[in-house]
Amino acid sequence: MKFKIENVIKGALASFIGASMAFTANVAFADYPDKDITFIVPYSPGGGSDQMARRLQPGLEKALGVNVKIVYKTGGGGAVGFSELHRSKPDGYTISNVVVPNVIITSKGDGIGYKPKDFSYIGMTEAAVGALMVPNDSPYQTLDQFVAAAKEKPGMLTVAGVGSTGANRWGGLAEILGIETTYVPVSGGVGKMMPMLAGSHVDGGMTASNHATKHKAIVKALVVAGNDEVATLPGVPTEPAWTYVTTWGIMAPPGTPADIVAKLNSALREAATDASVRDALVKGGYNPIIQTVDEVNAFMDAQIAIYE
Amino acid sequence: MIDAFFLAISPSYLMFMTIGVLLGLVVGTLPGLTATMGTALLVPFTFALPTGEGIAMLGGLYVCAMFSDAIPACLVNTPGTPAAMATGFDGHPMVQQGRGQEAIVAACFSSALGTMFGAACYLLLAWPMISIALQFGPPEFFWLGIFALTIIGSLAGDSILKGLAGGAIGLLISCVGISHAAELNRFTLNIPELRGGVSLVAALIGVFAVPQVLSMILGLRKQEYVAEYKSEKGVVLKTILKVLSKPVHFLRSASIGSFIGILPGAGSPIAAIVSYNEAVRWSKKKEEFGKGNIHGVTASEIANNSAAPAAMIPLVTLGVPGSSPAAVIAGALMLRGLNPGPELFATDGTLVYSFGWSLFIAGIVVFFIGMLATPLLVRIIKIPLRLLAPLIMFLAIIGAYAIRNNIFDVYLMLTIGIFVFLVRRIGFHPGPIGLGFILGPIIEPSLVQALYISDALGVGKIFFSGTINITLISLSVISVSAVAISRIRARKLAKVNS
Repeated sequence: MKFKIENVIKGALASFIGASMAFTANVAFADYPDKDITFIVPYSPGGGSDQMARRLQPGLEKALGVNVKIVYKTGGGGAVGFSELHRSKPDGYTISNVVVPNVIITSKGDGIGYKPKDFSYIGMTEAAVGALMVPNDSPYQTLDQFVAAAKEKPGMLTVAGVGSTGANRWGGLAEILGIETTYVPVSGGVGKMMPMLAGSHVDGGMTASNHATKHKAIVKALVVAGNDEVATLPGVPTEPAWTYVTTWGIMAPPGTPADIVAKLNSALREAATDASVRDALVKGGYNPIIQTVDEVNAFMDAQIAIYE
Repeated sequence: MIDAFFLAISPSYLMFMTIGVLLGLVVGTLPGLTATMGTALLVPFTFALPTGEGIAMLGGLYVCAMFSDAIPACLVNTPGTPAAMATGFDGHPMVQQGRGQEAIVAACFSSALGTMFGAACYLLLAWPMISIALQFGPPEFFWLGIFALTIIGSLAGDSILKGLAGGAIGLLISCVGISHAAELNRFTLNIPELRGGVSLVAALIGVFAVPQVLSMILGLRKQEYVAEYKSEKGVVLKTILKVLSKPVHFLRSASIGSFIGILPGAGSPIAAIVSYNEAVRWSKKKEEFGKGNIHGVTASEIANNSAAPAAMIPLVTLGVPGSSPAAVIAGALMLRGLNPGPELFATDGTLVYSFGWSLFIAGIVVFFIGMLATPLLVRIIKIPLRLLAPLIMFLAIIGAYAIRNNIFDVYLMLTIGIFVFLVRRIGFHPGPIGLGFILGPIIEPSLVQALYISDALGVGKIFFSGTINITLISLSVISVSAVAISRIRARKLAKVNS
């Protein structure tokens, strides 16, 4: 028989198409979960949500017995990823980070298409208080210097934050301090903010304090929110009147069945109690959280009431 | 650094890095499978390995994908990843002229050299380069994007106006979705899938692959194959010598590539576009570009490959990844409890340097594997069009679907494809449209941020001062006026002749 390259290609093509069809075919429902779970990260790689997803990924995979694939859907200060989850099938095979208050504040945008009450919340895993940071070589090395400079030249200092959530939270602190600055929104998250601070393209950055811990080589925190000093940022003054806390967790699309939510919740709790995860959280300047489904729903109701 | 070198040439490092390179060959060749997706898919498998071997494997995949994406770009005019868009501008015409093997060998060899250059920057110049890169704030990124847009002048084909219109169409489509500054819905027509914007990869497949397939089908009666396939003796050596005969061109492309690679968020696609543009500018035979000039291929490939190792520099110096695949590698390190950044440089320098050496050696491995695979790959054009057209269409659909597992992206790809096919018939070049897609996500957020900052400091101070801004603005003006002058001259000449 003559060897013809055309026949080989025909054969290869046929088997390739066949194989891919078999691959995509829907298999009848079995016990959840029986296939890979997609984990949407709504902020750019290297930011807080990404780190959280990466920390929990091995634990979730172990507890659920399937692979967890991380995908990035960034933009709109998190709104792109949240809205992607909002219209995903509520079958437990797509989950995402939830960041509070970001999910509440972004939902107020025009035509955004989701409401914070819609989602099925799985549980919160960590929280960090807000912080104002400046580049390490900034001329303003203390909060007093920063405030004095801002008062001297109202509106001339620039402060970066994440989307409209950042604008909202920064507005709170600026009011307490009695200063006027120019806000610069970064849409992809903190991963995009750090190079701007490192190059001193903005005078300050306002986001959760864990980033000040991770990026000590780039930024210096001037003030943190709340009453208590952050253990990983010793000596940084606190501002009790500023109540900005960022909380991270996991959520599923609206209408996810209760038994699937319960299964994901127990997997999440298992992953979050792992010693290495807790260690990383404490070292990273977070407060670890472990919640049942009822606790997370109560928490969300309270948060929505604060911001609405 | 010497310890790190010996570590990188140890058998297990070499083996896993080579496996990564082989996987990268597949990932880059298939349109729709980007280097980001390839590395993300591979990460779970690297956990079975020690850290050093694991990231060497990921790095091997990344740099090889930056070569192999040139293969479909040249052979069937469909870039394997967005970074190979500029490679196809000259690579595909070369293939059509029967110089397929030459195009692939040139891409492979220049990719290998580019990778080694980028890795050398990583090993030797990480700190000085990052301090320059940090000078790039929002206004600088904006002007860099505008400067990259001026390539339209050398791409537009017959009509500069159609080129500009194409670029504008691309930029406008990149605006679809939730906006960058405030959370506003734009041009989404109440279709929820459009809120996240038009997927870049699906759009690029639409711009390049679909019109290609449609033209193949239309030309079926006239043409049986994409191009003639000739196997020529000694073409490998000849091509390598051709690449080596232009050391200035190499240094320029590689420096542009590594520098743009460092800028967080810019990455290989922009590097390739700017480098191609500069190659045209400095060439004495400008009119040959876009029609099968080998240096168009090498300019793009040298740059997009040197950008890959360079994108690791901000990761190890600042803890901020310079490109999406670099971000995946950062994630792989964080999962092991390592904090990529200056800290890692200080505590585990051997790991940081051995990774650089692995990338360097990966360049050499890419060359040999590419050389082994080229004779086989070039034969793709021996597939008759009636088989090749459905095969490309099939891969295009799978690719567009795979990016987000969403059938909507397939419809979008087909719509954009048919649109580009139609406008191509009235003289539009697909290049500027693709360029708009790639540059929109750089230009728009940086413009918005720069405008906010200029609220405080004034437009003049933000946009029109500083060495980098002035340089980029001047380069853009020079590019545009050079094209305008040469066009006016050509028109006068044509008038005189007629």
